[in-house]
Amino acid sequence: MFPILSAVLATLLVGTVLTFLSGKSARWVALATSFVFLAEVAYLLLQFPGWAGFAGGVPQFADGESYAWIHLGWLQVNYTLGIDGISLVLLVLTAILQLATVVYSWGETKKPAAWFGLLLLTCLGCVGVFVALDVLLFFLFWEAVLVPMFFIIGYWGGPRRRYAAIKFFVYTHVASIVMLVGLLALVFYSHATSFDYASVYAAAPSLSVVTQAFLFLSLFFGFGVKFPIVPFHTWLPDAHVEAPTGGSVLLAGLLLKLGGYGLIRWAVFVLPNGFHEVQPVLFVVAFASIAWGSVVSLAQRDLKRMVAFSSINHMGIVLLAIAVGSSLGLLAAVLLMFAHGIVSALLFMSSGSVHHTFGTRDIASVGGITPRTPVLATMIMIGSLASLGLPWLISFPAEFTALLATWDRLAYWVLLPLGILVVTAAFYIWMMQRMLFGPEKGIPESAHDLPAYETVGMGILAAAAIVFGVLPFLLVNLITASPIRVFPGV
Amino acid sequence: MVAFSSFVGPFVPELLLLGGMLLVLLLDVLGVRRNETLATVALTALALAFLSILGDLGFAPLGVLATVGPGALNVAPAAGAAPLYHLTSFGLIFQAIFLVAALLVVLASSSRPSGERGAPIFYGLLLLATVGMLLVAVASDLIFLLLAVEVVGVPSYLLVAYRRGEARSMEAAMKFFIVGALSTVLSFYGASLLFGAYGSTNLFVIHAAAASVGTPVLVLVGYGFLLAGLAFKVTLVPFHAWAVDVYDGAPTDVTAFLAGGTKKIGLFAFFLVFLGPVLLVHPATAGASPFGGGPLDLGPTLSIALGVIAVLTMTVGNLLALLQKEMKRMLAYSSISQAGYMLIGVTIGTAPALTGATLQILAHVLMKGGAFLVVAGVAGLGIGPLIDDWKGLGVRRPLLGAAFALMLLSLAGVPLTIGFVSKFVLFSSAVQAQGWFIWLAVAGLLNSALSVFYYARVLKVMYFDRTDPIAAIEAPPASGLGAGGLGYGRAAAIGLAAVLIVGIGLYPQPILGAIQSAAQHFLLTGV
Repeated sequence: MFPILSAVLATLLVGTVLTFLSGKSARWVALATSFVFLAEVAYLLLQFPGWAGFAGGVPQFADGESYAWIHLGWLQVNYTLGIDGISLVLLVLTAILQLATVVYSWGETKKPAAWFGLLLLTCLGCVGVFVALDVLLFFLFWEAVLVPMFFIIGYWGGPRRRYAAIKFFVYTHVASIVMLVGLLALVFYSHATSFDYASVYAAAPSLSVVTQAFLFLSLFFGFGVKFPIVPFHTWLPDAHVEAPTGGSVLLAGLLLKLGGYGLIRWAVFVLPNGFHEVQPVLFVVAFASIAWGSVVSLAQRDLKRMVAFSSINHMGIVLLAIAVGSSLGLLAAVLLMFAHGIVSALLFMSSGSVHHTFGTRDIASVGGITPRTPVLATMIMIGSLASLGLPWLISFPAEFTALLATWDRLAYWVLLPLGILVVTAAFYIWMMQRMLFGPEKGIPESAHDLPAYETVGMGILAAAAIVFGVLPFLLVNLITASPIRVFPGV
Repeated sequence: MVAFSSFVGPFVPELLLLGGMLLVLLLDVLGVRRNETLATVALTALALAFLSILGDLGFAPLGVLATVGPGALNVAPAAGAAPLYHLTSFGLIFQAIFLVAALLVVLASSSRPSGERGAPIFYGLLLLATVGMLLVAVASDLIFLLLAVEVVGVPSYLLVAYRRGEARSMEAAMKFFIVGALSTVLSFYGASLLFGAYGSTNLFVIHAAAASVGTPVLVLVGYGFLLAGLAFKVTLVPFHAWAVDVYDGAPTDVTAFLAGGTKKIGLFAFFLVFLGPVLLVHPATAGASPFGGGPLDLGPTLSIALGVIAVLTMTVGNLLALLQKEMKRMLAYSSISQAGYMLIGVTIGTAPALTGATLQILAHVLMKGGAFLVVAGVAGLGIGPLIDDWKGLGVRRPLLGAAFALMLLSLAGVPLTIGFVSKFVLFSSAVQAQGWFIWLAVAGLLNSALSVFYYARVLKVMYFDRTDPIAAIEAPPASGLGAGGLGYGRAAAIGLAAVLIVGIGLYPQPILGAIQSAAQHFLLTGV
């Protein structure tokens, strides 16, 4: 069978290298790569046979490939790839975001070859994480994402970019290390025959429940810092505020999703008993993240900082949905990750456009922008309404499912996230009221509406938010083509 | 002929190097002192020795160059025999690693100015020290081993001082000599105590006796002195203080040789002295499953002592590296911390752990040796010793910057580099050995995270920091050498190291497989 997943990775790799080498025409190469990648993902979708269920107690994957890499007897590492519905949904997200980001940053003038190359490299790492089915390969891609993002923040970022870049790198790297120890212990303590997902999955139940719980916690720490979870979230506001717009888009849209994906694929599925033991911890952390992210957003004056904190809030709901530990909850988590990927990307692009149109992101000092910049105002409105969970937009089905799953498991505790959703709605509506409507203020004479490429970039995301909001079953059918359909039934 | 080859065969590489050294000295007498000529002689000798070792290791295309004949490796000596030297594939792999270090340094040195004084001394001493390194790798007797260590030591002291008249180098050489002499004394005293206990300095006899007689206090004290003496060579904490001043004061190409090459002989000596004999005190464990099973018993005391020293060495080296402002001193402290990782292999003592430690040693040769060669080249471009002097270098010299960045990333253990693979195998082996060894993996990984700080800081300076407009105007390379002032030889050495760092990082299977099967033999025969 044709190794389509390797071909996808190769496309992005070749595209990255060509982009780095192509100087002034880098953006065209990046755009071409994005289209090829999009076509490949479409092909993957069209020929996706659905989920094959379990074989020998191990979940099956489509488009599998496996080649020997390091074979030392005690250390059997393979290059193993494969996808199921969860990975495929996130691949679709990656393809959309990559295209939108490349188009949005069409006007980048500071070292464009390096800029577009690093964008593609980040996407390559994320795709690798979503398709890798070997402990080491997964970890490699996981770490590979750090390097381009470090340079994106550190070179193209705002005034405190160096501090932010180093903080981002160190936080996530230390977390990765704890995760790596957990993964290694998972392999060796369970006497798995290889580093393959299938061997680890099959061997993990032999571990005692206490060991499973400890391993789960170490993996949760590693994945959680990427989420990010309170109290390990402090790298995120700094990274977002300093990062250039394209960097923020990928950071919020893709990098945060790596944490959720990793938690579901490598911790919840592999160590269900350990997961069961530590569920209370997850609930506490999730509630803390939801509440903290929301309350702190309300206090922000900087539009971008507000969106960044609202990411903590939304990812907290993702964690809550995972912690519920039901089929419905995991479905909601993946759906929500997709929704947040689209919506937060749109909002970060909006705040980037606000910044260079009005010279500031301070919510209080700009007002009444709708008559002068109607397209920008529309984009901000779509993003905000989607983010606060308006029906017919993408977040609604996801948040609704998440709350339903929470109700199933925790009954009236659901009032806590529900109440906080009202706060979330409040800060978005308040922001829109001050910035979009009311008397004009703080608008420089030179301000004009979005350039075409920014409109197209944001338009792609806005369209996705509407299409999948109206037709969420497109995603739901795909997501349930995975062990989520039967979790925790087996 | 058979008798002749069995006598000379094992020492063909050493003889080749000695021949090279004599030729260098002869050329000096004849008045041929051009740097390039002498470097070519040294390179040829080293390359021939390297190929011959690869042939002996069974690397098929070089079968013609094999000098010891098939089946000569990994043969346990007859009971009661006390050979001075013993050929193992593990030892030959180390010989190959040592030669890679020497080759890189000589290749880079070939682009030093032709008329520079002291070239004959430099190449002669370097070849002599390499001979000593090769001898260490075949030793099976404490006296042979310690004398071989001295054959490395004495030329190294002189190498540090070969540029006469530079006060810093002279001070460094003096310090190096005094510490080296102390370390020799300690090691020999330890060996004498072992001789007192068992009546022999032969490692086979010692461990056979240890198996039947046991280990009296005298033996433990003897091992303690040996540990201290060798710890100086490997720059383990608390015997590390000399290293930074010496690495800093020595001419940088010599530093590359010291950090990348000679330091590693101490580690091989650790394997010989601590792993081999002590292993066979517990033949049941040793015979049962040296591979894949539980850890081999090093004697709990020694094992814990080595573990504590390993963690201390990593941590102290990293913490002090964080505080450094000069590139060379930062790399020197990082070199100390790397020795701590390698010691994990001895502490655990399984074949997987030895495999990881050996690859870590090879990795360190490439990345730290390579990094010091870059530092020497950059100094030749007229850039100062401070880390801040490297501002914008990554942008102005993209290839050189990329190679150096790659070496730092590999030192930090970033994936797709050899430094990642070696740490991955090493820490995996610690987790696989279970028990308290998992904490060695945790300590090692946390230290890797800590080390990222100071490597990332250099990257930040090289890529992100703005250069002020005056400094940005590149001074014309003083040397007038090719490859933008680096010289083609140095550029080739740096490029070679970088290519190997990535190549082995991407596909480590052949090298890891060879090392692991050699390590299994080594653990079975004991020396």
